[in-house]
Amino acid sequence: MESIKIKKITAVWIITVLVLFIVSIVLGILMRLNQGEIIEQSPITFYSNMTTHGLTMIGIWFVAGMAAVNYLMQRYVKTSYTANVIAYVLTVIGVLIFWTTTFVGKFHAGWTFLYPLPFKVMWATWATPLFLVSLTVFGLGWLIWSISLMTQLLKKYSIAQVFAWQHFRKNPKVETPPFILITMITLIGIITCLFAAVILIALFFAEYFSNGNFLNDALLMKNLTYFFGHTIANEMLYLGLAVIYELFSEVSGRPKWRTTWYVALAWNLTLIFILTAFFHHLYMDFAQPEGFQIIGQLASYLASLPAAGVTVFSVFIAVYRTEIKWSLTNLLFFIGVAGWVIGGLGAVIDATITNNVLLHNTLWVPAHFHTYNAMGNVLFSLAFFYWFTNQFTKNIEDGKFTKLTLAILLIGGIGFLLAFYIGGADSIPRRYSNYPTDFTAAAPLATMGAIFATIYLTAILIFFFKIYKGCLKILFSPS
Amino acid sequence: MFKNIVFTFVTINSWFFANAQTASGIEEETNIYERIYNAPIRVSRNQQLTFTDLNNKKPLLLALIFTKCAGVCNPFLLQLKENLQFINSDNPFTILVLSFDPRDRLGDMNLLAQKLGLENNKKWIFAVTDSIALLNQSIGFYPRWDSVRSQYDHDALLVGINKEGYITKKLIGIRDKLDLDLLISSVNNIYSPTYRLPNKNILFSCFNYDPKTGKNRPGLGWLFIALPAVLAMSLLLSISFIVHNKLPAE
Amino acid sequence: MQQQMILLVFLILAGITTVVFTYVYASSKKAGQEKQGMSNPLRKRFWFLLILFVVLGIFASVTIPKSPYFLFADETPKKIVHVSAMQFAFILSEKAIDPKSPSGEPIELPANELVEFRVTSLDVNHGFAIYDQSNTLITQTQAMPGYVNRLRHKFKEPGKYNILCLEFCGMAHHGMRSSFIVK
Ligand code: HEM
Ligand SMILES: [Cu+2]
Repeated sequence: MESIKIKKITAVWIITVLVLFIVSIVLGILMRLNQGEIIEQSPITFYSNMTTHGLTMIGIWFVAGMAAVNYLMQRYVKTSYTANVIAYVLTVIGVLIFWTTTFVGKFHAGWTFLYPLPFKVMWATWATPLFLVSLTVFGLGWLIWSISLMTQLLKKYSIAQVFAWQHFRKNPKVETPPFILITMITLIGIITCLFAAVILIALFFAEYFSNGNFLNDALLMKNLTYFFGHTIANEMLYLGLAVIYELFSEVSGRPKWRTTWYVALAWNLTLIFILTAFFHHLYMDFAQPEGFQIIGQLASYLASLPAAGVTVFSVFIAVYRTEIKWSLTNLLFFIGVAGWVIGGLGAVIDATITNNVLLHNTLWVPAHFHTYNAMGNVLFSLAFFYWFTNQFTKNIEDGKFTKLTLAILLIGGIGFLLAFYIGGADSIPRRYSNYPTDFTAAAPLATMGAIFATIYLTAILIFFFKIYKGCLKILFSPS
Repeated sequence: MFKNIVFTFVTINSWFFANAQTASGIEEETNIYERIYNAPIRVSRNQQLTFTDLNNKKPLLLALIFTKCAGVCNPFLLQLKENLQFINSDNPFTILVLSFDPRDRLGDMNLLAQKLGLENNKKWIFAVTDSIALLNQSIGFYPRWDSVRSQYDHDALLVGINKEGYITKKLIGIRDKLDLDLLISSVNNIYSPTYRLPNKNILFSCFNYDPKTGKNRPGLGWLFIALPAVLAMSLLLSISFIVHNKLPAE
Repeated sequence: MQQQMILLVFLILAGITTVVFTYVYASSKKAGQEKQGMSNPLRKRFWFLLILFVVLGIFASVTIPKSPYFLFADETPKKIVHVSAMQFAFILSEKAIDPKSPSGEPIELPANELVEFRVTSLDVNHGFAIYDQSNTLITQTQAMPGYVNRLRHKFKEPGKYNILCLEFCGMAHHGMRSSFIVK
């Protein structure tokens, strides 16, 4: 009974995420078209769309990962259906409130809303408090969800087990499945950065209601903002990885991946690096103590080691010279891992302080994070969506058609990203609604980005039509 | 009623502070990294030196005063002397107390040194100059003669000059030890890529600059950055404790 | 130009990644029934990690000391420029800027001499990025209210340099700019 309910709510999550994704991509294409001078939007429209696009994208791929992890976690522990539904309701309410502030109120402080920008009101005066309210609603729903999942894990596993510490010794008696380990590490990270968000929002509200008697410190607020923003954007990738660890071997018809001492070590270390890497967002703030800047670079570098050495290598070992059942699901996983690695390379380059001086807040930044999102995390989630719907609806896979869709996705994605990378190397700033005329390549590159993004969108639409019918069927099938 | 009083108090207060701060804030920023005028100075009856002679040996903290001052000069020097007693900096410096009043003679300065009990302290030099106008101009220091009170209307000013003869930092008013520390490191060319602007309003300032080490020292705000992780870990431990220590009956 | 180098390095690395993934995928497609797999995976994993670690270690120890916070630390700047950023303009002055009535003047700087920009903001966070004549970003810092960031630089070539805002600061962010001359 419970598992049927979880099945249905997962289907609801999938449809919601895909619909919001398509809307957000359209906003993205509109932004690129405006930068390419093909259409003309007012800067206010552009920047409020940018705010909508940024936060919606982060939000949906976070909940997509959570929904997938929640669904698969059923295999090991009982999870709370109520927490899942609460998270869903609050996420939807949050989106509605947030979209009201941006579409109606024209709120446009960016999804990173750096203090004190939200207080320099250039939009409807109610939009700032309402935006903070929408964040609170998201934060509440997601905190409830992640704490509930964490509690369920802790009911079955002790702390040492859930972090797989017993694997550091020879011949551990119990095995912690990789999925449990990764989920736990990720949940801790998520809860931590949501707490950072709570503190951040509280400080914002404190100033808002103090009538000017209480002022925040811009440096502290910036640290908290990226503690939240950077970390949540990273953790949602790890949710996708947890799904890969669980499903890749299974859909490939291979033996299940096991936890070994180095897998345990790698993921335990990741927890530390991922919580300190956000310092790299403040490299250009010379006011930040130098120690933190260096920690930022080292943690960013080190975070790539366990990822590359364990996850990517495990995928290689599973595939290399091994006959496996290729399907759309594991192909998407495989390509997604490649996208994740390539985006990671762009990130490591940018996380080097001496490079960051030249790349910070240029188009290089959207270039690399779109790589591991649009060509990494999105594919992880699509793979799960596809696998999930195929479980319950006999979807006959059409090999040729699948290949074609994948090709469209790749061509669109690569072209869209290249326009960003070239722009970044050409010193073109990010977050410019219109480019100054001295950047001669900027507008043509933006147009190119828009065209390829439309191709990418086509592929997403094809996936959407493949998946949503299955989801509706699951939803309306008698329990 | 009570609310109104508090509000008025806060407003007046912040108005007062804001004024005081911006005024000194901007004047402290003028003439920085300009060369100080190489004025000839007389340190004792038979010793004529120039600024370069002095700052070549050790960086200088220059205090500009006049001996007949009925205002800020005395407390300023006393406070400076007191603060310096508590500073055991490894960075070298000399304090040059120079009169900007043309009527001051060397004798007046020696008397002042005796009054302060500093006549034998090697770190302190008391001197006069006959090129005060040019010197003042190179610093951006403009005392005004008030003929009614027969006094100069002026700020207490401490100027940091490095070994190369450049002004590295100025402090206006009677300042605390922390600012003095910052001044001493600046004359020793210890570069810090940032400094904070004074603002009493900010409670949770993230980092406080520590001039001793030339590094920022975590302030209260740092706790706020560590807090999320601490909270998450405590949550983890307490949930684990609670779920594993349920009564068997449950 | 360093940016072009960065792009090149990135494209090469991305190319290698693509080749490796394609190769691994192809090897699976070709694999027969008899299970071959990877021989000695643990050993390979170890070497791969070690090499990566050493490469990154070298990279970090070479680049970190060149970070902007340590540049020109023991030199005295020949010239100081005070910068106050505000929505949506930069105010530059050789004299200190009074936040109450900010005003600046056109700036001319000497070539091949150390210049220090003392950058702060009068309202929200802004960026202070310097672009050379070929419109290439050469250095930057952030302008944060309450803090003064000291950006030191030696301009090699005379000419006009542009300043752009590189931190989103509101609806006219893209129009926020200024310039100065290096002689
Ligand atoms: C093909 C699909 C997509 C298109 C066309 C697109 C387009 C854009 C554009 C044009 C920008 C503004 C770039 C600039 O700063 O000038 C942007 C920013 C952003 N995008 Fe996307 N994007 C896409 C997919 C995604 C995905 C999958 C994510 C997932 C997380 C994402 C997250 C973001 C974020 C967080 C920002 C930053 C917003 C800000 O600067 O405040 N985007 N995107
Ligand atoms: Cu700006």
